[in-house]
Amino acid sequence: MSELDRQIEQLKRCEPLKESEVKALCLKAMEILVEESNVQRVDAPVTICGDIHGQFYDMKELFKVGGDCPQTNYLFLGDFVDRGFYSVETFLLLLALKVRYPDRITLIRGNHESRQITQVYGFYDECLRKYGSVNVWRYCTDIFDYLSLSALIENKVFSVHGGLSPAITTLDQIRTIDRKQEVPHDGAMCDLLWSDPEEVVDGWGLSPRGAGFLFGGEVVTTFNHTNNIDYICRAHQLVMEGYKWMFNNQIVTVWSAPNYCYRCGNIAAILELDENLNQKFRVFEAAPHESRGVPSKRPAPDYFL
Amino acid sequence: MGEQGKANGSINSMQRVKVYQLKNDGKWDDKGTGHVSVDYLERSEDLGLIVIDEEDHNTLISHRISSDEIYRKQEDTIISWRDPELSAEVALSFQEPTGCSYIWDHICGVQRNLHFNTLSNLEVGPRPTMESFDSVGRSHSNDESFHAVNSELQELPSVELSTLPLILKTLLECGVTDPLRVADLILQDLEFFPKLVDLFRMCEDSENMDGLHMIFRLVKAIILLNSPQIFDRIFGDEFILDIIGSLEYDPDIPQVQNHRSFLKEHVIFKEAIPIKDPLVLSKIHQTYRIGYIKDVILPRVLDEATIASLSAIIQANNATVVLLLKDDTSFIQELFARMKSPSISDESKRNLVLFFHEFCALSKSLALGQQMRLFRDLASEGVFDIITSMLQSQDRKLVSIGTDLLLLFLNQDPNLLRSYVIQPEGNVLLGLLVKGLVTDFGEDMHCQFLEIVRILLDSHTLSGSQSFQRDTIIDIFYEKHLDQLIDVITSSCPSTNISHKSSKSASSSRRLNARGVTKPEILLNICELLCFCVLHHPYRIKCNFLMNNVIEKVLLLTRRREKFLVVAAIRFMRAIVSRNDDHLFRHIVKNNLLKPIIDGFIGNGSRYNMLHSGVLELLEYIRKENIKILILYVVDTFWGQLMRFEHLGSIQGLRVKYEQSLESCDIKNGPNVTDPRKRIDERALEKEEEDYFNEDSDEEDSATAHSSRTWDQRTRPSLPNGNKANYSSLRPSSGGLVDYEDDDDEDDDYNPPPRKPEASGVDDRESTKSKRKLTSKADCEDRTFEIGKKRRLDQNLSDSNNVSPPAGSLCTDIDFPNNAQLCDATLTTENNDRLHENRGDDEESPSSQNCNESHPEAADVRQSSSDDCPLAAPINNSSPDMVVNGASSEPYSVR
Repeated sequence: MSELDRQIEQLKRCEPLKESEVKALCLKAMEILVEESNVQRVDAPVTICGDIHGQFYDMKELFKVGGDCPQTNYLFLGDFVDRGFYSVETFLLLLALKVRYPDRITLIRGNHESRQITQVYGFYDECLRKYGSVNVWRYCTDIFDYLSLSALIENKVFSVHGGLSPAITTLDQIRTIDRKQEVPHDGAMCDLLWSDPEEVVDGWGLSPRGAGFLFGGEVVTTFNHTNNIDYICRAHQLVMEGYKWMFNNQIVTVWSAPNYCYRCGNIAAILELDENLNQKFRVFEAAPHESRGVPSKRPAPDYFL
Repeated sequence: MGEQGKANGSINSMQRVKVYQLKNDGKWDDKGTGHVSVDYLERSEDLGLIVIDEEDHNTLISHRISSDEIYRKQEDTIISWRDPELSAEVALSFQEPTGCSYIWDHICGVQRNLHFNTLSNLEVGPRPTMESFDSVGRSHSNDESFHAVNSELQELPSVELSTLPLILKTLLECGVTDPLRVADLILQDLEFFPKLVDLFRMCEDSENMDGLHMIFRLVKAIILLNSPQIFDRIFGDEFILDIIGSLEYDPDIPQVQNHRSFLKEHVIFKEAIPIKDPLVLSKIHQTYRIGYIKDVILPRVLDEATIASLSAIIQANNATVVLLLKDDTSFIQELFARMKSPSISDESKRNLVLFFHEFCALSKSLALGQQMRLFRDLASEGVFDIITSMLQSQDRKLVSIGTDLLLLFLNQDPNLLRSYVIQPEGNVLLGLLVKGLVTDFGEDMHCQFLEIVRILLDSHTLSGSQSFQRDTIIDIFYEKHLDQLIDVITSSCPSTNISHKSSKSASSSRRLNARGVTKPEILLNICELLCFCVLHHPYRIKCNFLMNNVIEKVLLLTRRREKFLVVAAIRFMRAIVSRNDDHLFRHIVKNNLLKPIIDGFIGNGSRYNMLHSGVLELLEYIRKENIKILILYVVDTFWGQLMRFEHLGSIQGLRVKYEQSLESCDIKNGPNVTDPRKRIDERALEKEEEDYFNEDSDEEDSATAHSSRTWDQRTRPSLPNGNKANYSSLRPSSGGLVDYEDDDDEDDDYNPPPRKPEASGVDDRESTKSKRKLTSKADCEDRTFEIGKKRRLDQNLSDSNNVSPPAGSLCTDIDFPNNAQLCDATLTTENNDRLHENRGDDEESPSSQNCNESHPEAADVRQSSSDDCPLAAPINNSSPDMVVNGASSEPYSVR
C-alpha cells in the first residue's frame, strides 16, 4: 500500500495527517491543480456534491450513498471547510483523493475556501486547535488559491459554487481570470463564488451577503442560451430538501450537508448524472449519533497552562 | 391572550407577526396580522403556537407544536413549517428578530421536552405551566404575573434517588421557560450538589445504570441552564471530577465513556517551572477540564449561549493565570534566566520554551492594553535574544516555536520586533529569518518565515515616526538580503543559454533537479515575497530591479519544470506591470522581458490551465489599462507567435488596441512613445525570426507560422527609417491584421473580451467599429486630438474622478460616428491623468532617492511612482490580523 493510500485510509477514519504529510500532500496537489482550467471540463457520468462544511461523518454518508471514489466520478462544488467539527479531515481527505485519483474527482472553490472567511467561521481555529499552530491552515489556504472556479460537464451543465456574474456573459470570459489569489471582494471571480439566484429579482440585484449578486430567471436564460448549456448546477444555499430547481429547471441548487451545523434539520442531496446526463437526485440524512467518533476536539494530552 | 391588553409596546411589537399560507398556485396568501404566543391549546395538554388577530381578536392560527423537525427559521424574522392539519406551508413573518428568536427558542424547547418525554416516559409531577409571553425581557423578580403562574415552583424536592425524575422533569420544563428561577432554587439548596454527587457515587458503586442515566440527564440539564453561579459551584475543585464522571453515562451512547481516567491518567500537567500559587494551579486545571467538557464531552449538546459562557470562563481563567504569573517578577526572571542558560538540558529547554509559548499565546485573553504592556515587558527582558538563539537551534521544534512566538509579537505590535531588528545586535535575527526562508526544512513546515518577513517589510502598517524603523528594515533588507534571495533563484534555475522550448527545458531542469537544487516551495516563497516587495516598495524595487536586472533573474523561474513556479513568475511580472511605471515599462521593453512569459504561454500550447489564464490576464490588463508602450511591444515582437491564439477574445482585443495605438501615435506624434519601439522592433524581430526558424513545436500550425513570417518580412525593411506614417501605411498589406474582423464572423469560438458593466459600451465599439475607423480615421483625427487635449485640461483642473467622464464635456462622444477613435483618446488621457493624480500615500522615505544618481531618467521618478495606488488585487495577503480587520464578515452564509 502506498503512503498516499495509507493516508487516505487514515483520513477515512477521521484521523488528521501530520504536518509534514500535509505539506507534502499540498505540494503534490498544487502540481495537479495548476494544470486545471478555470472552467474545468468534466466527463459524465459524474456525481455532483454541494457544500460539506466540515461535517466529516455526514460526508461519509454521502460516499455510502454515492459510492466510493474512484468507482464514482465526483465533482464537489466547494465549501469543504468551516462550521462543522472536522474541516481539517474533510478537506484533507478530499485533497488526498484528488492527488490519488486526479481524473476521478474534481474540486472547485467555494466562498469558504478563503483566508478571510476561514478565520471567522472555524477552519482557522480548528487548525490551531488540532495542530497547535496555523501552518496547516497556511498550506491549505494556499491550496485554495489553486482550486478551479467552475466546471463544465460534457459542455452541457455548468457547475459553480455560487452563481453568475454581470461581468461574465460567456464561459470564455472566465478564461482570463488569474485565480491564484484570495477571493476578491468584487469582480467576476468573487461573483462566481458568492452570487445567488433569486425568484423575485429581475436581472441583477444587490446581495444581502455583501458580496456577489442576486440574479433572476432572465439572466439565467440568457446565459444558458449564449453558452449553449442545458442548466446551471450550483450549491451555496441551504435547501431543506437537499436540492431545488429554479427558473423552470434552468438552475439547480444542490446541498450536501445534512442537518447543517448539526441543527438545521435539513436533508442533503447529491446529483448523479449518467453518461447521457440523465439526472438522479439521491438524498441522505445526517450520520447517526453512534457512528460519530466521540472525541471531536480532544485537546492535547499535556498542558502547561 | 387575556393579558395582551396590558402588555407594553415593545412586547407587543415583539409578538407582532404576519401570517402567510402557501396556496396551490405557489403564491403566499396573507392571512392577516396578529400577535403570537406559545400556550396550551384549548382542551388539550399540548403546547401550541397561537396567533390572535390584532383587529378582530379571532384566532388566526392554532397549531400544536410537533416533535417532528418541520420548523425552519429563515432570515432573522421568519418561521415556517408545513402544517399537517392545514396540509399547507405556513409562515410567520415577525416584525422584530428578537420576537422571532424568542418563539424559535420556545419551539425548540417544547420539542426537546417532547423528545425527552418519549424517551423517559415520565409520568410524575404536576403539570408545569408555561410562562406567558409578556414576561419576556422583564426582570422576573417584580413580575407579578410570573410568580402567579409559577406559584407551584416554590422549591425543588430534596435530592433523593426517588425524586430525581421529578427534579429532572421540573428542570426540563421550567428550565426552558425560566432558567433563572430554576437555577435560583438549585443554588438555594446548599445540599443539592453534595447530595447529587453522593447519589452518583452510590449508583456507580452499585452499577445502577438507570440511576446513572438519570443523573447524566440531570447534570446535562443543569449545565444547559447556563447559570454562571452554578458553573462556579460545579466546576470548583470539590465537584468537577464527579460532574465529569456523571457525564460518562450518556444513555444515548451504548458504552460508558472514560473521561475521568483520561483526565487522571493520560493527561499530564507539565510544570516547566514550578508554580507556587495554589490559586494559579487550581485555575490552570479547571480551565483544562472546562475545555474538555465543552469540546470533548458535550460539544453536540451545548447551545451557543452555553458554549459562549464556558468560553468566557476559560478566557477569564487564562487572563487571571497570565496576569498572576506576570506580576510574579521572580517567576518571569527565573523563567528567562533558565531559558538563557546554556547549561540546561535540551529536554528541559524545550519544555521551558513550550511553556513560554503557551504563556504568550494565552495572553490573547488579556485586555489589549495589558497584553501590549506584557509584550513590551517581555521584549525588554530580552525575549528576542532568546528567540534568536532558538532560531539557531538544531532542534526543528524549537525553530518552529521561535517563529510562532515572533508571529505572536508581530500580530500584537510589529514595532517591538522592528525596533529590535534595526539594532546592530538585532540584525542577526533578520538574517536568520531570511535564511529560514531559503532553508530546506525537509518535511517540516516553514511557511511562517515568509509571513514574518512580510510583516516586517509591510509598508502599510505604520505612519509617522514609526515608519523610520520600517524604512530602516527595508533598507537593510534590500542592502543585505535581496541579492541572497535572487541568487537562490539564479542558482536553481537552468542557465540562460539553455533553450527554453518546452520539451528541452523540461529535461534540462530535470537534470538540474537531480543535482539537488532548491526545493520548489522555497522558490515559490521567494517569488511571493518579491511580488509583495514590488507592490509595497515601488522606489526600492526600481533602484534594485533596474540596476541589477533582477526582473530578468526572477523570470528564470519560467524555466523551471514545476508549472506553479512558472505561474509564480508570471504573477511577478504582473505585479511589476501593475505599478504602471514608465521606467519599468521601458525596462521591460528594452530587455525584452516578456519573452520568457510569452514563450511559456506558447510552449503551453492550447492547454487551458493556470499558466494560460495567468498570461491572458496579464495581456488583458495591459490592454485594459491601455499601456501603449507594452501593447506595441507585445504585438510587434510576439504577434507571430500569438496569432494562433487570435480566436481568444483577449488576444484579439490586444490586437485591436494595438491598431488603435498606432493611430493615436499618428495623432499625438509623441517621440518618446515611438523611439523605444523602433529600437525593440529592430532587435526583437530579428530575434523572433530566429526563434521561428528554430521552433520545432509540432503544435504550431504550419500555415500560421508561414503567415507570421511573411508578415515579419514585410514589415521589417520599413523599420530602420520607419516613422509612424510609414508604419501605418504598411498595415493594410500585412497579412494577419486586416482580415481579422472577417474571421470573426466565421469563428464560432469568438468571444468578446470581458467587460465591466460600466465600460461595456466602450469595449463594444472598440471591437465592432474598428474597421470603419480604419477608413474614416483621417476625418476625425484633428477633432479627436482637440477633444483629447481639452479633456486632459479638464481633468487636470478637477482631479477628482478619473473614471467617469466629467459631466457634460464628453459624454456625447458616444454618439459620434467614429467614436472608437474618441474613446481611445479618452482612455489615453485617463491614463495620463492617473499619473498626475496625487494619491497621498507616498510610502517611501526621501532617503531612497539616492537612486536618482544611478538612473538616467531620475527626474521623472518622483512623479510616476507617486502612483502607488493600493492595488486592486492584493497578492496573497495572508497576515491573519490584517485580514480579519479587512474581512467583511459574512452576513448570511446560507439562508
